[in-house]
Amino acid sequence: MRTRFDEQLNTLGQELIRMGALCEKMISLAASALIQRDDALAAKISPLDQEIDEKERQIESMCLRLLLQQQPVARDLRQISAALKMVTDMERIGDQAEDVAEILPFLNGRTLPEHIQIREMAKATIRMVTDSVDAFVKQDTSIAEAVIASDDIVDDYFIEIKNSLISLIAQNPNEGEYALDLLMVAKYFERIGDHAVNIAGWVLFSVTGEKGVQPPTD
Amino acid sequence: MTKRIFRSICLVAIAVFLASVVLFLGVLYDYFGNVQQKGLKTQTELAAQGVQTVGEEYFEGLSPKGYRISWISADGSVLYDSEADFSEMENHLAREEIKEALASGYGESSRYSVTLMERTLYSAKRLPDGTILRLSVAQSTLLTLMLGMMQPILLIIAIAVGISFWLAHRLSKNITAPLNQLNLDDPLNNEGYDELSPLLRRIDAQQRQIRRQEKELRQKREEFEAVAENMAEGILLLNTKGMILEINRAAENLFGTTHSCIGKHILAVNRSMEISELLSGIEKGVRTEKIIDLNGGKYQFAVSPVKESGNLSGAVLLMLDVTEKEQAEQMRREFTANVSHELKTPLHTIAGCAELLENGMVRPEDRARFYSQIRGEAGRMIALVEDIIRLSHLDEGADDMKRERVDLYELAVETAGSLSGEAESAGVSVGVDGESAMVDGIPQLLESIVYNLTDNAIKYNRQGGTVKVSVGHCPEGVRLLVSDTGIGIPKELWERIFERFYRVDKSRSKELGGTGLGLSIVKHAAGLHDAKIELQSAEGEGTTVTVVFPAAKE
Repeated sequence: MRTRFDEQLNTLGQELIRMGALCEKMISLAASALIQRDDALAAKISPLDQEIDEKERQIESMCLRLLLQQQPVARDLRQISAALKMVTDMERIGDQAEDVAEILPFLNGRTLPEHIQIREMAKATIRMVTDSVDAFVKQDTSIAEAVIASDDIVDDYFIEIKNSLISLIAQNPNEGEYALDLLMVAKYFERIGDHAVNIAGWVLFSVTGEKGVQPPTD
Repeated sequence: MTKRIFRSICLVAIAVFLASVVLFLGVLYDYFGNVQQKGLKTQTELAAQGVQTVGEEYFEGLSPKGYRISWISADGSVLYDSEADFSEMENHLAREEIKEALASGYGESSRYSVTLMERTLYSAKRLPDGTILRLSVAQSTLLTLMLGMMQPILLIIAIAVGISFWLAHRLSKNITAPLNQLNLDDPLNNEGYDELSPLLRRIDAQQRQIRRQEKELRQKREEFEAVAENMAEGILLLNTKGMILEINRAAENLFGTTHSCIGKHILAVNRSMEISELLSGIEKGVRTEKIIDLNGGKYQFAVSPVKESGNLSGAVLLMLDVTEKEQAEQMRREFTANVSHELKTPLHTIAGCAELLENGMVRPEDRARFYSQIRGEAGRMIALVEDIIRLSHLDEGADDMKRERVDLYELAVETAGSLSGEAESAGVSVGVDGESAMVDGIPQLLESIVYNLTDNAIKYNRQGGTVKVSVGHCPEGVRLLVSDTGIGIPKELWERIFERFYRVDKSRSKELGGTGLGLSIVKHAAGLHDAKIELQSAEGEGTTVTVVFPAAKE
């Protein structure tokens, strides 16, 4: 009985890793599409979003089945409930990557001004998502804590980008639409960073039983 | 085993004991019955004597203890009975002992009472007057006897059971003790039962076999590990569920993991979707290959299913670093494309000019210009083809070229002289300084190094600029230095300018001529001489190329 349960928990873990990998793929595609100004890359994101939604449903029903059939306690219960919460964050990351991809065709016709650090922000966000999935894979609290800490970096990037865009509009009011689109992209990346922090928080919870930092709610 | 032996011994002991008690009682009962019968007979004789001598008075005052005396007439009516009212007693002629006594003078019989709790022995004697004297005695039956003896028997049973328990316990322990003390690590060195020796010999043989097989297995494993650990290709063994069974060092490095990943799922090591997709092919049992970007390099991943007697039992993942191969392949493709393009351009001009001339569309006074253009383009093609031939020759290793001792300074002066025309038309002054320095090398190649570097320095210079060629000794050997005051090269392109057909400023290449292969030839030729090339350049200020040759051996 227990071995079967362990096996199911392992499968759950593997499915979560797969879903995490999907998230990483989507956000890195979105970032590459932005940096390389390649609309073809952006077009690849939408099908992945369907895949990630499918995965979320699958993992959710797997968790509920485990909760009902095995009535887990202690660490097992934490693991399953954390998984239930994590898939929501992962799915949101997927959605936001898709949102970025939808804006990109309006941006990619133009050269990004060098001083706007959106590329750096995208890279930092990818790092956070990758690390949060890594923290889950390795069940490593130190990585999870590092992810939570690095949220400030992404937040700072957002504020910086916002200020540069304000000055861009002040210099050239015709750039308003472009600046707003860029701001949206930056905001999406900032939100993705928050979801990565959530995932890291749930990893902490599932390992230690304590919520490291209260994750921001939607 | 001890329990079973104990139980058997106990049961046997108790069963034997009970059987002997019963048999013993039976025999004893029979014996006592006989003794009583004999005593009864003697008593009957005595009483008969008494009755004969005394007559009826004999019975008066008779108080027999334990006996019952009856006197019966010849017709069967009872004349006297010591215990019952004889007047009311029935006729006794039908009784067995009476019948017998009447017939033979003496008779005996025994009868059980109604309750079976008692047996009565009868003994009858016919007196001379025809009457019969009968004595009877009650004897307790076996059952009564046993009931009577119940207490001592129970006591004896209890003692006997106790003793048999104790003995059985000790005995069973003694029997199993040698079995328990068997040293199975050294089966042949045991004292105990001879009956066990075939078993022990067998165990010994099997143990030796196991040790041998273990050693073989270990050896094979060590061999496999030695091979796997030292190969440059990464190897990963997976079971059907995707758990890692084995991983070698190259694979560990590639995935950035350690040996501790054994037993974990492959997803925990690498979750890239390409690898997941590749592995999903295992279930179909087919070998799949794919080139995947990983850690900034290109790796060829090959997944082969492992089958055991037709059933899928896992997969082998083999990873080959094909970064360089892919790059070489890429370069070859680019080179071919570039060569075709570079060759086609002058051909178009030649074909165009020739066509115009053929159709007589060129005025006679212009013809000379067209002819010279055709010749110029043909010259360019020849130069290009020569460069390509030289380069492919260098690619082959230039084994057939003769090495000689060459004075690099002399070579530089000669080259500068031969390029003076170009320098003059470009408005660039060329100066050679330094000292005589000998290098062991292939003269043609050394010449092309100096020529190409000086030629570039002149071509990519500015009007009124200078080119300085200097040759001298340095700690590492002989140094050739070519510096100019020209346009310079941006730092990020320093590596690329040695690529075939690479031009920093594509717009100027046509006007300046050249094949785009010069620096590539310099790089190859320097490589063949074990020389090192260093580049120093600043945009708009100039470029300095330093080539350091190993000094000629004395």
